[in-house]
Amino acid sequence: MNVQARGLRKVYPGVVALGGADLEIPGGSILGLLGKNGAGKSTMIKVLAGVVAPDAGEILVDGAPIALGSPHDAAAQGFAFVHQELADVPNLTVAENVGLGLGYPTYPGGLVKRRALSRWAKEVLDRLEAPVDPGASLSSLSVAERRLVTIARGLAADARMFVLDEPTASLTDDEIEHLHKVLRSLRDQGVAIVYVSHRLDEVFAVTDRVTVMRDGHTVYSAATADMDKPQLIEEITGTAIAPEQRRRHVPADGADELLRVEGMSRPGVVEDVSFTLRKGELLGVAGLVGAGRTELMRLIFGADPATAGRVWLNGEELTIRSPRDAMAAGLALLPEDRKEQGGVLDFSVRKNITLTTMPRFRVARGVPMPNERRERATTRAFVERLKIKVANPEHPMRYLSGGNQQKAVLAKWLGSDADVFIFDEPTHGIDVEGKEEIYDLMTELAERGKGVIFISSEFTELVGACNRVLVMRDGRVVSQLEGSAITDAALVGLCYAHE
Amino acid sequence: MSDDVPSPALVLDKQPDVNADPGAPLIAGAGGNRAGTFTETASRYGLLAAFLITIVVFSVARPSTFPTGRNVESILTSAAPPMILALGLTVVLVMQDFDLSIGAMIGLASGAAMNFMAKNGIDWIPAVLLVLLIAVAAGAVNGYMVAFLGGSSFIITLAMGTVLTGIEFAMTNQDTVYSGFSSSFQDVASGELLGLSHQIWIAAIGAVFIWLLLDRSEIGRYMYAIGGNSEAARLSGVRVRVLRLMGFVIVAIGAAIVGLLLTAQSGSYAPNIGTSYLLPAFAAVFLGAAVFRPGEFNTAGTIVGVLFLGVIQTGLTMLDLATYMINLVQGGILVTAVLVSRLGQRRAG
Repeated sequence: MNVQARGLRKVYPGVVALGGADLEIPGGSILGLLGKNGAGKSTMIKVLAGVVAPDAGEILVDGAPIALGSPHDAAAQGFAFVHQELADVPNLTVAENVGLGLGYPTYPGGLVKRRALSRWAKEVLDRLEAPVDPGASLSSLSVAERRLVTIARGLAADARMFVLDEPTASLTDDEIEHLHKVLRSLRDQGVAIVYVSHRLDEVFAVTDRVTVMRDGHTVYSAATADMDKPQLIEEITGTAIAPEQRRRHVPADGADELLRVEGMSRPGVVEDVSFTLRKGELLGVAGLVGAGRTELMRLIFGADPATAGRVWLNGEELTIRSPRDAMAAGLALLPEDRKEQGGVLDFSVRKNITLTTMPRFRVARGVPMPNERRERATTRAFVERLKIKVANPEHPMRYLSGGNQQKAVLAKWLGSDADVFIFDEPTHGIDVEGKEEIYDLMTELAERGKGVIFISSEFTELVGACNRVLVMRDGRVVSQLEGSAITDAALVGLCYAHE
Repeated sequence: MSDDVPSPALVLDKQPDVNADPGAPLIAGAGGNRAGTFTETASRYGLLAAFLITIVVFSVARPSTFPTGRNVESILTSAAPPMILALGLTVVLVMQDFDLSIGAMIGLASGAAMNFMAKNGIDWIPAVLLVLLIAVAAGAVNGYMVAFLGGSSFIITLAMGTVLTGIEFAMTNQDTVYSGFSSSFQDVASGELLGLSHQIWIAAIGAVFIWLLLDRSEIGRYMYAIGGNSEAARLSGVRVRVLRLMGFVIVAIGAAIVGLLLTAQSGSYAPNIGTSYLLPAFAAVFLGAAVFRPGEFNTAGTIVGVLFLGVIQTGLTMLDLATYMINLVQGGILVTAVLVSRLGQRRAG
C-alpha cells in the first residue's frame, strides 16, 4: 500500500502547524520522518490518524483519495499507530488488548470466547517473536513489551501502514534491536512503515528513506544510503533560514554567583545535576523532550520532591520544600504547560497577574483584602507594557489567544521581585513577533542583574539569546557550551547523540 | 512579601495609574467575541427572576397569608439553619471538594451538646465551645485525609459521616432526650433581637463572614484559584493543602452551629437529625452557582439558592397541595431554574 499526503495545511490560532506539506509513504519500506519539535510531525501523524482534520489537502491510498473523518476511518484504511505515550488499557489482559476494538470472538449471546481470543493473540504475537503470555495483565509488562502488544494489535487488524512515534523511548539496546528486526520483517511483507525519531543513529540503522519536516513543510526527502549525518542535521535545523543573530547578553566580568545547584537528583528523572548561575546571566538549557530539563527546574523550585541536592542563592543555602518556599527565597518559575500549570483560565487576566503578589494590593497595611482598583492599575500597566491583546482585563483568561495567555502568565512572575527567573519553553506556540518580545524581556531582566534560566527545544533561540548553554540528556547535564561554541549544529549533535 | 509599595522586577514604562477609568476597554475590538448582553443577563439573573416570579405567584395565590411580615420572618427563620450549612459548603465546593459528612456533623453536634449539658450538667457556654472544638477536629481530620493524604473527598467524607454518627450514638446511646437544656441555651435559638429571631441574625453574620472571606479576602482569591487550577495555584505559591483543610474546618463549624441551633430550638435531642439537611444544602449551593456569577459557586448565589428553596417549600405548603404535587413542583422548579441559566451560560461560553 502506498500512502500519499498532498498539500496538507493546518492552522491553529497563531501557529501554522502544517503549511501545505506533502508526504510519500511507499509500501514495503521504512520511512524515517524527522524534524525538530514544532516542525509539524505530530500534526501530520494526527491527520493520518484521523484525529485532526486538515484545513486543506488530501490523503491518497494507492492513488485514490480517501476521507479520514475519525480514528475509526483510519483504522478501516489499515492504518495503525504506535504513539509515544502508551495508549493501551493496562487493566486488561494482553489478548484483550490485542483484540480491542476489532471484535472479540464470541459465543452466540455475546460472551467472549476466551480461549479463541488467546489463540488469536498468541498467533499474532508469535509473528512478532514476542515472548508474551496472552493471558498476562498488560500492566505487568515492560514498556517494550507493551509497544509490541500495540504493534500486534495493528497486525491483528491487518494494518498495511504502521506509524511509530518515538517507539524506542525508554527501551534498552536489545529491545530496540528486536523492535527493528520486527519492523524489517513487516517491511518485507509489503507493509508501509513511518518511523518518527529524534535519534539519528537509529534512523540510519533501520530506515530506507528519510523525509525531513521543517516549519510545517516537508523540505527534504532522500534514500537513507545517500546521506550522511551532518547533512541530515543541516536539513533538520535548516541553517539556511536561521534568523539573524541577536545581540547576546553577556554578564559583566566577575559578576557574583547568584544561584548554585549541587547534586540535584530524583532517580530515573534527574541524576546528580550541578550548575551555577551568575548575576545578569541568561543561561540556556537545551535538550530533547524527556531529557529532564523541566523536571530539574521543578525540583529546584520545590514543585516535586528531590531525593538529594542543595541550592544556594546569593551564597545562602535554601531549604525549599514547596513552590511557596522557593518564591519566598526569590525564585520564579514559568511552567512549561500554561494551560495545566501556568494560569487559572477561568480567572480574569487581572486575577491571574496579581495571584503571586496579592499582599501588595491590600486595602490597608495588615488587612489581607485586595484593593481591586490598585490591582486594575497594575494589570493595565502590564497589559500595555507586554502588549497583551485583551479587550478587557476583567474577561477570563480563557478568551485570550495562546500567545497572550503566555504573556499574562509571564506578567504574573514579572511582577514579583524574584532574583532568579526560570522560563520553561516560554515561546512555545507563540508567533515570531511574540517570541522577539519575550527574548527582549529576558534580556532586560538579565540587564537588571537578575539571573535567567531559559529552557527551549528550539535551539536557534538559545543560540541567539544565551552566552552559556547547558545540554541535558537522560537526566544529566552532558555538556556545557559557551560563547561562539554555541551553534545550532553543536546543540543538535549533543542532544541527539545516543550512546 | 510585605505590604510595601510594589517593586516589580520589570521596569514599567508608566507607573500604574490608580485613577484611570477601570471600566474602559484597553484595546477596542480586541479579544474574542462575547455573546450578546441578552443571553449574558439571562444567565446571570435568570434564577433571580424565577425567584421573584415565584414570590409573586404565591403572593397572588395566597394574598392574605403569604406576603405578610409574619410569613417572611417565618421563612427567614426556618431558612437560617440551611443557610449556615450551605454557606459553609460553598467554601469547600469553591475548591472543588465535597463534604458529605456535614449531615452527620449536625447530628454529632446535637448529640454532643446533649451529652455535655443534659447528661453531664456542663454549663451551656463551655458546652457549646466544646462542641465547636469537636467540629474543628472533625473538619481537620477530613481536610488532612483529603488535602494532605490525597484521599477522594467524596469517599473520605462519606466514610467520615458514618464515623461521626458512630461517635454521636456512642455519646447518646441513641436515646431521645427532652430535658436538661437550660433556658438560656434554648434562648440562643428561640430568642429575638430587634423583632427578628436570633437564628436570622446568626445566619446573617455567617453570610457576611463567608462573603468577606470568599469575595473580599486574599484567602478567598486563593480558594477560587485552587478551584480553577490547583496546580497553577500551587506553583504560584498558594498554600493549597492548608486552605483546603481550612475549608473542611469551616464547613464542619457551620454544621455544628446548625446542630446546636436545632437542639436549642426544640430543647431536645433526637438521634441523627442532620441527614435531611445534606441534600438541600447541596441543592441550594448548586442553584446559587447558576446566578450572579454563572458556573461559579458564590456567596450571594448560595443565599438566593437557600431562600428560593425556603420560599418554594413554604408557598407550596400554603397552597394545600398534595404531598406528591409538592414533590413534583419543587423538583420541576429546581430543574427548570438551573437549566435556564445553564442554557444562557453555554451560549455565552
